[in-house]
Amino acid sequence: MDVISHFRQESRTYAALGFVAICVIVLPVVIDSIWVKVLTSAVIFTLAAYGISLLYSQLGLVNLSQVALIGVGGWIMLRLNYAVQLPFELNLLVSAVITAFIGMILALPAMRMKGLYLALITLMVAGGFQIIFSAIQFPNGGAGFLGVALQSPGEMRRPLIAESDTAYLRYSIIVVVLGVMLAAAHNRGRPGRAWAMIRKSEANAMAAGVNVTLYKLWCFTLSGFLAGVSGGLLAGALKILDAKSFPAGESILLFALSIVGGVGHWMGAVIAGFLYRVVPAIFNNIGIDADLSLVIFGAALLHAIMTAPNGIAGQLSSLFQSLGRQNK
Amino acid sequence: MFMRNMGLALILAMGLISYSQGVMAAEPECGANTGQKATGDPIVVGGINGNAPPGDFSGGTDAAAAYFLCVNDNGGINGRPIKYIVENDQWNPELAAQVATKLVKDDGVVALVGNGSVVSMAVNAKLYKDEDVMAMASACAISDCYENSNIVSTNQGPLPSGIGALKFAVEELGTEHAACIGFNIPNNGGWACDWAGKYMESVGKKSTALLMDPSAVDLNSVYLQALAEGVDTIMLMLPAGPALGILKVAEEQDGGDTFKWISPTPLYDPTVPEALGDYWNNKLYVNIELGPFNSDGPDNQNWIAVMDKYGEDGDRRDTFSQSGYLSAKFFVDTLLKMDPAEINRTNVTKAIKGISGLTSDLLCGPYYVGDFDRHMPNHAGRMVVYADNEFKVVRDCYDIESSYLDSIRQQERQLKLIQ
Amino acid sequence: MKIYAIFMISGLAVGSLYALGGIGLVVLRRATGFLNFAYGAIAAASAMICWQFIDWGFAGPVSWLMSILTGVILSVFFGRYLAPSLAWREPVVKAVATLGFALIILGLVSFIWDDAARKLVLPTDKIGFRLMEVRITVTRIIAFGSSLLIALGTILYLEKTRTGLQMRALANNRAHSALIGIPILKVETIAWALSGALAGFTGMLFGDLVRLDPTIITFMVIPAIAAAICGRLESLFLTFIGGLSIGVAEAMLTLVKTAAPFRSLVAFVVAVLVILWMQRKQRLVFQTED
Repeated sequence: MDVISHFRQESRTYAALGFVAICVIVLPVVIDSIWVKVLTSAVIFTLAAYGISLLYSQLGLVNLSQVALIGVGGWIMLRLNYAVQLPFELNLLVSAVITAFIGMILALPAMRMKGLYLALITLMVAGGFQIIFSAIQFPNGGAGFLGVALQSPGEMRRPLIAESDTAYLRYSIIVVVLGVMLAAAHNRGRPGRAWAMIRKSEANAMAAGVNVTLYKLWCFTLSGFLAGVSGGLLAGALKILDAKSFPAGESILLFALSIVGGVGHWMGAVIAGFLYRVVPAIFNNIGIDADLSLVIFGAALLHAIMTAPNGIAGQLSSLFQSLGRQNK
Repeated sequence: MFMRNMGLALILAMGLISYSQGVMAAEPECGANTGQKATGDPIVVGGINGNAPPGDFSGGTDAAAAYFLCVNDNGGINGRPIKYIVENDQWNPELAAQVATKLVKDDGVVALVGNGSVVSMAVNAKLYKDEDVMAMASACAISDCYENSNIVSTNQGPLPSGIGALKFAVEELGTEHAACIGFNIPNNGGWACDWAGKYMESVGKKSTALLMDPSAVDLNSVYLQALAEGVDTIMLMLPAGPALGILKVAEEQDGGDTFKWISPTPLYDPTVPEALGDYWNNKLYVNIELGPFNSDGPDNQNWIAVMDKYGEDGDRRDTFSQSGYLSAKFFVDTLLKMDPAEINRTNVTKAIKGISGLTSDLLCGPYYVGDFDRHMPNHAGRMVVYADNEFKVVRDCYDIESSYLDSIRQQERQLKLIQ
Repeated sequence: MKIYAIFMISGLAVGSLYALGGIGLVVLRRATGFLNFAYGAIAAASAMICWQFIDWGFAGPVSWLMSILTGVILSVFFGRYLAPSLAWREPVVKAVATLGFALIILGLVSFIWDDAARKLVLPTDKIGFRLMEVRITVTRIIAFGSSLLIALGTILYLEKTRTGLQMRALANNRAHSALIGIPILKVETIAWALSGALAGFTGMLFGDLVRLDPTIITFMVIPAIAAAICGRLESLFLTFIGGLSIGVAEAMLTLVKTAAPFRSLVAFVVAVLVILWMQRKQRLVFQTED
């Protein structure tokens, strides 16, 4: 690695660290309470969007069921919260692992498919979970396995160090950063190389001795894990979840925004989370019908598909690059 | 929205022409009724409604907004105007938490008035308690509205209204087995249909809860489920929109006489008769939580006058609107007794909890709050039947019997409202 | 017995809507390679236009025509102005692009028509007859009959006419079709128009028979896709059968009390099983077009 590219790499890392530091330290202090809540949601969905981005950029797989998996993670988180008196972090981890496992099972039929049929399978899964969630509801402290009581909900515990909204926003940012780093580490390591080969050609990858099935499953499981963490964090943020939050349409929307934000880069996922939660809230706040944000998202998706395959993040980074060249 | 506004503009234009020839509506009476505009330091009050499919619960905040405008034109709260901020949670729990936080923490409201939402109260009950702010709700439909220390609702909610309708059906229509069709939201349809079932059991009758997904696509199959259960009465524990949908299916299947049709208050809405048509003459009975729209009672007449003068074109004028008017009126009357310089959240919360024994022709019983861990001042209602494009009262004020009310009656004894 | 008949009829009506939706999707997919996720949104826009024209006091037939016209215009707009630049992309990218179009339409429709409770009433709702004590309205007959006729008509159209032949050729190989002089643009535009008209018609019936709500109609595309999957996104006949079976199975499950809340899962379970069965012999994905 020559000096310049090493320097560039390093400055990029510093930029990322600086961005996170601003988010953690400055933002929660300067913004109003409502924006603390909005940003918490945006941050949480960023992680799930990164899972979508991973599948799409590494294997070219379209995942239209990510929000449904967030719902699964949230469901397990609430269920654990009312069932056992364990620390938040442990519940979060268990929820994420089980969600990852469910994501893996759902991916099994996808092993022999790619492209359109895989996208359709994930869409059917999203549609199925929408029905299941509204049939069984989310646990609210009741008895039995489903844990639904016909009364006001019980108390969803937050981590001891993050009881207040601002502390919880910081906590979520740190968890999400850790999640993204975990995924990025996969990307740079052995799985990332395997994914790259599979993406180019499954036949060649297999000829080169790559276990195609294993690595495809791995990517799905990782994406499911990220969705599970998101769901667990969301349960902690909102304290009660409702089936209305996890319909198939939302999965489609989050996928669309991940493409708009730009796949293959953490900044793209951040933009997706921002578009998904902050933009409608801004619209609401200044009195513009939030339905109109859908129009903008749709147009942005068409634009991204037709002319900007790297999304907003890609456009931003090429903008910075060209600025950098001019400065030289 | 655009289309509706255009239509409304037309209607309004025609209305103006006829208005100029017609009688002048009565002048509304609000607050101190001085006729002087209030100019002091505004008192910030909030309100949250839920207006998105599957239901529009904005009537309460609309009416409260109109009443507050009227109060501001009439001396305000001893010279201080009310600044009323209304947010819509769009039936979205995430949004509900956000807007409540905005009102309570960022805007610093002294109280919330006129609230009407299915999801908001469940999400925010704890916030209100932690921040010690009272919510004088108007269009509540879930258990959380009636089982928290800092929420008191002027409307009855589905539980008493539903049981009221069942009581009438059992006593007057000969109901033996009722289906309770509600949303499968645990603290809404699940809660109300559960208690409705307990009531039916207590009078030796049967009931079946048929809970549906709020976004259920096919209302037809919900109706068919009731048919398959072999019930003789169908109670529509639903907002007006989906309830009308099921009635349409029933009409198609000519089920108007197959079942006896009853409903709690949401179907009592001036726009409903037009949607129902002649088919439903004398077939649909609705329990009403507040007064009849055409009553001559002073509060009802004043509600109409306030809405005529200060309401907006798109405002609903349903039971929840009456309820919003009444919540706002009780709130203003309470504030008027306070020292205007001392109006802050702590004092307002204390004052609201001190409310006891207020009356209105819109209510069958007294209105009170008190320092309790739950509130349900309104549980007696009236029954109306749909006939010839309007609703007619078939039974005036009557209370219900349910063990749910045991603790409520205890409160009323404590406040010496009943023996 | 009566109760089964009632559920059967209700299921057939909803099922024929799924079938109609599926047919519209398959026709387009065969001719252009686009699986149109915006199909439901186009149907929603058409249904709302129909309601609007009736609300403005226009005669029924005018409103119905406007509704179908809306479907055609929206569909052809995408086909003529947006689709060509995607023509050579993978099928999944094409499908994702239609998602963007769906969001735009849904956003605009929800903005223009707010959330007021509306109902779409067609004159055929009031006319009906009794069959085994079950009242069947003419609207339901229309839904069922038209999906049958449309399925038949489209099959014949693709088999017997020159345009149909050209559409099948396009479906087989686009590059070769262009080489032998098939007017691709014209044939594709016809396919977009046909599919749009079907979307408009389906939307109108859905608004009347099931529910008039833009979001619900937009996502009706999901069970319609399930029906199309039953036909492997190719066979109109199997799509038709698939749609009807899903509708009937959904309705009949209402009678089984424990299964009733989950009955809408039928469409998704069936679709996933069909996909798995289709792929049963395939071991690896070697750069196939799908």
